[in-house]
Amino acid sequence: MILNALSITLIFIGFLSALLALWGGISSFILYKKWGRPFKPEEKTSLEDHSYLVLLIMAIVLIIRLINWPLFYVTLQSFIPDIEGAMCIFGVTQVKVGLTRFLEFLKPINFFLIGGWFILHVLDRATKTSPLMKRKLLLLSFISLLVLIDSMGDILLMIGIVPDSLVSCCTTVTDISSRPTRTTPESVFGPDYAQSLRILFFISHLALIGFIGANLKFKIFRRPILGFLFLLSILNAVLFILSQIEVFAPAMMRLPFHHCLYCLWQYVPVSIVLYLLFILGTFSVGWGFTTDLFGRQGEGIHLLPVFLKKIYLFALFFLSASLMMLLIHGLVS
Amino acid sequence: MKQKREWILLIIALIPILIAGCKNRTSEDRCDYDGFHVQPLYAVYFSLQDGSEKKYCSLVCASMSFSALKKQIREVRVVDEPSGNKINALGAFFVESEVVTVPHVKNRIHVFAKKEDALKHIQTFKGNWVENPFR
Repeated sequence: MILNALSITLIFIGFLSALLALWGGISSFILYKKWGRPFKPEEKTSLEDHSYLVLLIMAIVLIIRLINWPLFYVTLQSFIPDIEGAMCIFGVTQVKVGLTRFLEFLKPINFFLIGGWFILHVLDRATKTSPLMKRKLLLLSFISLLVLIDSMGDILLMIGIVPDSLVSCCTTVTDISSRPTRTTPESVFGPDYAQSLRILFFISHLALIGFIGANLKFKIFRRPILGFLFLLSILNAVLFILSQIEVFAPAMMRLPFHHCLYCLWQYVPVSIVLYLLFILGTFSVGWGFTTDLFGRQGEGIHLLPVFLKKIYLFALFFLSASLMMLLIHGLVS
Repeated sequence: MKQKREWILLIIALIPILIAGCKNRTSEDRCDYDGFHVQPLYAVYFSLQDGSEKKYCSLVCASMSFSALKKQIREVRVVDEPSGNKINALGAFFVESEVVTVPHVKNRIHVFAKKEDALKHIQTFKGNWVENPFR
């Protein structure tokens, strides 16, 4: 176990959120089961008070879990000097490959679900009759389960990473010619796959921005359209990752044969902002869809267009800003 | 209207900051393959036809670049481990042993200018001869 301020913080947060997620998950599921049943006025007041307490505490836990995602990578970065052979976060991930990969997969899912839940929570709070409470509680109990798994994973990983472990780093994995990020597009686009990836990414990114802009202008917040935007944002995210690994990251680092994204964050720290903007933009598109999916009930229906407009404006801003950064980087490079 | 102008001013002010941030910090002793800090004892140097030089932190990084740059390379220089002198790779002896020199790529290939030094390393660290990776 490597002890430093960050790992201690991560373990502390892990314990705290695991305990509260367990309590909050069970409580919200019980409340979900009870919500909507006929009760006496004093019982109903008690139920409402209890649910507000659960929501308040869980909202704090979920905010902490949102911060946990970047904190996780900062902590892994802090371990680099203690792991022999690690030159970037990739090397640290090699100490406990399976668990780290699982957490790296789970954390963005949690971030997305928590963000989506918060929007739903804010939408529900804006109403007078809380029509979304039942859905909110059910979603919360599911998110609590994921938060519990994530927190336990964090603790296990922090305990499992021992100092002076010998690992080999990204160069021997991300740069080999048989890497899937190269072979897959190469099999589709041929030897000039890098150029095709670059063009395809710009097309999909601009198309996504264009569709969001058109949606905002004509205010067409219909579910099939929002679903299409969500799917397009997923496709765009896949193209973003592929083109980053194969095209943009080597160019930004000025290391034409090196394809490690962790090294990119290390050598060009401003790229973290680019990634943050892209993630928030992509997730906002998804949040728009989930808000429409779960928020279309009771009073929520009337407030939904205003909320969706704000969410898609955020998406438009974040995606445009990330594109701007990428272009500026391209020009500077 | 005023709010819009403030936003535009903010974006204009942010652009130079972004441009400054986009210029990555390049250091003299950085490997031209993966950007890692180069230890002079295990470095490999490629002299290119255009007069420029590429520097690598290990034989692994250098050999991974070699295939892509083969046509442009005029000379490959490696470092003799016992003395620390730069020598032409064509005259060097390469030995693979249990000893790892550059951990992040797990490089186990060692370079020697003299055959007796290479033999000594083979005997001490259970090594074996390997071919020059830059042929």
